[in-house]
Amino acid sequence: MAEVHVIGQIIGASGFSESSLFCKWGIHTGAAWKLLSGVREGQTQVDTPQIGDMAYWSHPIDLHFATKGLQGWPRLHFQVWSQDSFGRCQLAGYGFCHVPSSPGTHQLACPTWRPLGSWREQLARAFVGGGPQLLHGDTIYSGADRYRLHTAAGGTVHLEIGLLLRNFDRYGVEC
Amino acid sequence: MATASPSVFLLMVNGQVESAQFPEYDDLYCKYCFVYGQDWAPTAGLEEGISQITSKSQDVRQALVWNFPIDVTFKSTNPYGWPQIVLSVYGPDVFGNDVVRGYGAVHVPFSPGRHKRTIPMFVPESTSKLQKFTSWFMGRRPEYTDPKVVAQGEGREDENAEAEIPRSTWVSLCPSPAWLMLPFCPQ
Repeated sequence: MAEVHVIGQIIGASGFSESSLFCKWGIHTGAAWKLLSGVREGQTQVDTPQIGDMAYWSHPIDLHFATKGLQGWPRLHFQVWSQDSFGRCQLAGYGFCHVPSSPGTHQLACPTWRPLGSWREQLARAFVGGGPQLLHGDTIYSGADRYRLHTAAGGTVHLEIGLLLRNFDRYGVEC
Repeated sequence: MATASPSVFLLMVNGQVESAQFPEYDDLYCKYCFVYGQDWAPTAGLEEGISQITSKSQDVRQALVWNFPIDVTFKSTNPYGWPQIVLSVYGPDVFGNDVVRGYGAVHVPFSPGRHKRTIPMFVPESTSKLQKFTSWFMGRRPEYTDPKVVAQGEGREDENAEAEIPRSTWVSLCPSPAWLMLPFCPQ
């Protein structure tokens, strides 16, 4: 079985209009992939920048997969939320990016988007907070049914991911 | 076909905690330690250290320089649990107590060669305003009992509010090419 190590960190997020952000992250793989070590999803701490507008999480990611096929190459997906001083959480953006497929260290910048509702909902969000959210989280990383959505841009999630591959040449895959 | 026994590889880390930029604080020292998985073990060198106390330079850079050496070798059979270096920076507050000014963590680089890493630092913050005031007043700020928590992914959602202060601690980590032997192909 070929093995893939994904080791790195979610550095932080920039470009969001809200401060005090946290991120729920997860990794989605195809059916042929098996997670040998590591946690498949997690949540970062809430970070309030004191200087500048970039929220830093430095959240470590360490995953070890074994796979029999290339289909379903891992995808990292994110939900960035903001928390206000009362403890209420509001969605700031959804985003996903594929894990790189060449070995080495990669700097990734993942753009995010959030669903816009009707003009009433947008007005309510500006005054009271809240706003529409996705019912099914898999829309974040799959293209099906996206045509129904009307969205606005959020900020960018920054990651540094290192990739180690093993035994791919045995299956005829060059890396 | 690879041999049935797991192959052991070594990772040698040479470098230094070079300097930091903390615009608001002075007279700081830092502590480093390594966090690694179960398949890893240090074979040589020190895996923890405390630096000297440094003051800001008088020139325009306002740099806090430690130039604190890091020299450790790990051995392992599995890249899972790749070591992370955890840095904690401490300094005096206005009353003279030693308080934490920032925590940060980063993975040791994966490829041989010379690397420079800037690590953002953050401090835990209380959620209640009264607690923030009393902790400032008494000099007993929220602190981690074990700084190694910073290198772990689980349990962070319970940290409700983090005041982040984007500092840069320059860490140059240069594994010496003769010693980094990996059975995997990183490049």
